[in-house]
Amino acid sequence: MRLPRLPVGLVVFVLCNVLCGHAALAQLAPYESVLAPDSGKLPLTAGFNDVDGAGGAGLVPWALITGYGTADSWGANAHYTAVQLRDFRLRSYGVAVGALDRIEISATRDVFDVTGTALNGLSVAQHIYGLKVRVYGDAVYDQDSWAPQTAVGVEYKKNSGISDSAAVGLPGLVSPTQLGAASDTGTDWYVSATKVYLAQSLLVNAVLRYTKANEFGLLGFGGDRSRNRSVEFEATVAYILTRKFAVGVEYRDKPHNLGVDNERAAWDAFAAWTISRNISIVGAFVSLGSILAPVTQQSRDQNGAYLSLQVGF
Amino acid sequence: MNACGLFIRLVAVPSLLLMGGVAHAGKTLYEAMGGETVLRSAVAHFADNVVADDRINFTFAEANMDKFRQLLFEQFCNLSGGPCQYTGRDMRSSHVKLHINNAEFNALAEDLYIGLGQAGVPYRLQNKLMALLAPMQHEIVTK
Repeated sequence: MRLPRLPVGLVVFVLCNVLCGHAALAQLAPYESVLAPDSGKLPLTAGFNDVDGAGGAGLVPWALITGYGTADSWGANAHYTAVQLRDFRLRSYGVAVGALDRIEISATRDVFDVTGTALNGLSVAQHIYGLKVRVYGDAVYDQDSWAPQTAVGVEYKKNSGISDSAAVGLPGLVSPTQLGAASDTGTDWYVSATKVYLAQSLLVNAVLRYTKANEFGLLGFGGDRSRNRSVEFEATVAYILTRKFAVGVEYRDKPHNLGVDNERAAWDAFAAWTISRNISIVGAFVSLGSILAPVTQQSRDQNGAYLSLQVGF
Repeated sequence: MNACGLFIRLVAVPSLLLMGGVAHAGKTLYEAMGGETVLRSAVAHFADNVVADDRINFTFAEANMDKFRQLLFEQFCNLSGGPCQYTGRDMRSSHVKLHINNAEFNALAEDLYIGLGQAGVPYRLQNKLMALLAPMQHEIVTK
């Protein structure tokens, strides 16, 4: 297993390039310096950004490292995602960097607004900081092996609290802990395995996540029903229609820690289009299940439209 | 979530979905793509794309393109179940002096995808050929 050596390799690479200075760099063609982005991956293979900001599709992270940099280089992207559900709206925006096709770092902010029911006007937000490390395999090249590309990830999430609660007659409601959450911060751990079955034009991805996040963390972490993390399953299956266009479905189990939220699994059906290595669009029909039904008195599923734009290299 | 449900989601569902991708019985990929005429056309388009591609054309500066086209045809024909023998060298020794990096390998793959498309090979068949070629990354990328 090469993993423990690589962060050292990265540091050595960066230090060497910095110490050698611009004069030495200028003598190298762009693709010969690890500091120069090579935008060398095939279209689609950088993935998109999920609602937690990690490289993946819409709801589920992939083992692929984000950005169009290959193992010789690096890449980065920014994303803006809007999800309009029946009574809620989620906006997610952030940046992500992938280095050496090995390490991915992301920072994302999610803002979740109530746009219907008696709570119309309420808003809650969170920050998510993610780290993902590829530990084994290549989802595309290893067509002669059964083994998927495998990555481990960690996401530190900090809920920023509830705002505009006075407007809906709930002055003093400022934190999900007042709804029963055990904490306003939490850390998710996950393992993601992704395989492209090229001969079938299929991408298959499965994730096990160890989490106590309520509604991705938007309603805090842990709660009156359970304070502890649980293992949740997530998956993506996508059919690749052209070099730049794929359609697929995703599924994401979520814990049910809060008495005030009949939290259920989320799923979506998406279409993803990599217009170029610099711009990608994902559109989806998404269902997040019932959200805060005992509070809003609306038990209907929160279904709606998902639209995400990614720009980068 | 119980273990049974986990098994169904992890193993059974992907397996069922994969079964939909099983190839048409009896016909080789070579025949499905259109045989010699189409494959030679694809290789010709591929060679043109490579020569026009500033990301990689310098690695072909001293190449004999007629030989390149013939050897590629033989290799693709042989790999896809056609009646050909590949008479070229193995992938590692034929590429090692070129110091191909990952971006260059992927640029080649992209030019081949485009060439296959220009020859009229449908995308899902392009992927079937690519599935046979992709593992060569381990021998071709030496930088």
